[in-house]
Amino acid sequence: MSKQKTVALFPEASFGAALNCVGIAQELRRLGARPVFICQENFRGVFAEYGFAEYSLVPGTNDGEANWTDFINRHKDAFRQSPLEQISSYVVPTWDAIVDTAIKAEEPLRRLIAQIKPDAIVLDNVVMFPAIFNSGVPWVRVVSCAETEIADPDVPPYLSGCGAQADRDWLAFSARLGREIQPVHKRMNAFLIECGLKPYPSGEFLETSPHLNLLLSPEIVRFERKYRLDPAKFVYLDGCVRQEAPYMLPTFAAHNDKPLVLTSFGSLGAMDVAMIQRMISIFAALPYRFVVNAGPWRDDYGNVPDNVVIESWFPQPSLVEKSSVFIHHGGNNSFCEALYYGVPSLVMPYCWDGHDNATRAAETGVGIKLSRYDWRDEELATAIESLVADASMREKLARNATSMQKAAGVTLAARSILDLVEE
Amino acid sequence: MEETTAKVHHRHVELAQKILDFAIERGLPRGGRLTEQALASHCNVSRTPIRKALQLLAEKNIVSPEPEGGYQLAIEPASFPGLEDEALPAEETELYNAILRDISAGRIGDSQTVAGLQRRYGFPRSAVQNALIKLSEENLAERAPGQQWMIKQFAISGDAVAKSYEFRLACEPLALTMPGFRRDGAALTSLRQSMEILRGMGEGAFDQKLFERTDHDFHMLIARSCGNPFMSETLQTHHRRRKTSQPPMHVNAFRLIQSNMEHLQILEQIERGQFDLAADLLRVHIQLSHVERPRLAGRGVPIAFRIAG
Repeated sequence: MSKQKTVALFPEASFGAALNCVGIAQELRRLGARPVFICQENFRGVFAEYGFAEYSLVPGTNDGEANWTDFINRHKDAFRQSPLEQISSYVVPTWDAIVDTAIKAEEPLRRLIAQIKPDAIVLDNVVMFPAIFNSGVPWVRVVSCAETEIADPDVPPYLSGCGAQADRDWLAFSARLGREIQPVHKRMNAFLIECGLKPYPSGEFLETSPHLNLLLSPEIVRFERKYRLDPAKFVYLDGCVRQEAPYMLPTFAAHNDKPLVLTSFGSLGAMDVAMIQRMISIFAALPYRFVVNAGPWRDDYGNVPDNVVIESWFPQPSLVEKSSVFIHHGGNNSFCEALYYGVPSLVMPYCWDGHDNATRAAETGVGIKLSRYDWRDEELATAIESLVADASMREKLARNATSMQKAAGVTLAARSILDLVEE
Repeated sequence: MEETTAKVHHRHVELAQKILDFAIERGLPRGGRLTEQALASHCNVSRTPIRKALQLLAEKNIVSPEPEGGYQLAIEPASFPGLEDEALPAEETELYNAILRDISAGRIGDSQTVAGLQRRYGFPRSAVQNALIKLSEENLAERAPGQQWMIKQFAISGDAVAKSYEFRLACEPLALTMPGFRRDGAALTSLRQSMEILRGMGEGAFDQKLFERTDHDFHMLIARSCGNPFMSETLQTHHRRRKTSQPPMHVNAFRLIQSNMEHLQILEQIERGQFDLAADLLRVHIQLSHVERPRLAGRGVPIAFRIAG
């Protein structure tokens, strides 16, 4: 009898990556492996809730008195800008913070890998952690962002929100990002060299794995690439949706039998309460039911219309499944869940690959893109009404949902990982 | 007329559930006899409504008539998750839910009058009064000076769940170590049966409703058995209020399976008379059940941002 394989999953500290890895881990466990999680301190408990062992990177410490209000105000302003403008205000500072995370994690991560002795490491992140590379353990890169994360001359630049047709915007975005990212990239390369690794080419923070790379990107939104990804090392999962607790819909004070529209911008996106309140004022006049994710700001909402329910946490896939329209920020997990259940997306992006997914949703006819801030009341209402009424889009999405569910992304991911460790 | 019928039917469903609770607590097996007289004195009603409730259970094949009269259980009570009320909810239940929902959403204030609620919901005065009485019975509302009623907004606010765990962590283990704590052997055996049935279920087939019933019964049993009437009343009221008014927790099956195992371990220590150990295990169980998630997370978000949610 072969020894049970231990797979260490290390998602970045965001709900998208974390819950995506939960889906893979559930399937690894079902297939007889022992999945464990390496996590940042603030994600302690998230994985234990699904029954997985957790190893915190810096146990028992807290990195201090982060200024909550400043952080929110700074980001709220940046989220109003175009992808090009965000390069200075959001993208470069975020890469800077990401590089910091990698540097801080290096020592504890090296110790943890030595303790856990995993048979494989699954990295769902956008930056290299040299401790993983140097461990000699086969490692898997999960691309849980949009497919643009893996660059190709025929794929729009990552985070640009550009369309599939190459144009001047591609060049403008790439040139500006290439220029402004240089100091951060230099710092990253210095760190890699210090850890005995080769520096990365300009703009790269994480290489593809020589062992296995898992891409969430569903076929319906995939790009034609100039250079085909080697199918032996790059596996498309067609989504990666986890098993969740059921969601019992509450009784609505009005329109209780009408189509359900889910609105969720992730925990970062929920912080602009005024913007969501403006949306809710439009929802009030529409003949639908709305569930709105307010994150930790639930109690900031007063006088909620009869057809709206405010939630602070819910098992999202279970609710997406019941929805007729999903309004989201283009986070790749949300986008994939919408596609997996055949639900049209109204994408209102504010950062990172949300811009890419918003453009792609519109290009491929699986949803509508709407600016997060620059919209008139009737535009939002019309967008929702048209998605509820669009029978041909629904039919196309239903066909795609059947094929995605058949592809069983979580099982494919788990089997590919186990194949790797059993080689 | 239809309203009255629905209301009467609802009362019979409530009584039928009480009969099932009685059977579960007493550990009656399938085939166990249910006598009208014993049930009537347990439920503190006359035999006529008991007969109606038994007829209702017979229609659902939960009990079956005996040839010589009376009824016997046709199901295994330990595996029964609870009775569904298929009738339209009585006015006061509908109103009860609507008031809580609207207070929680900030549509109405926490200070209300009967006339004001009548105007908003269009129900008769008696229905509004009954709903307010039901809310006050569960300690969710209380009379204020004049015509006012105060609804306890804190019990349904965003941090009600976190505050409830804090309260339970302080009181429930204490209840187990009260000098007057007495074991109810029949109720413990019956609960163990239900927990063992749940233990045999996998993640995919886990019966969430049976778990919810067992969970409620287990924590109520600790409250009821503590031997201190003040503590007992406080905890029972809190558990009833949790059941009817707290937002759902959306806990995945894996955690529920773990939670059931924790219940079993605590129950075993209660059976052995190891109350201090049971209290320690209960403390751990409550802390494990309080799910903590990062308040805000994403690329570039400082790790310090975390609260219990």
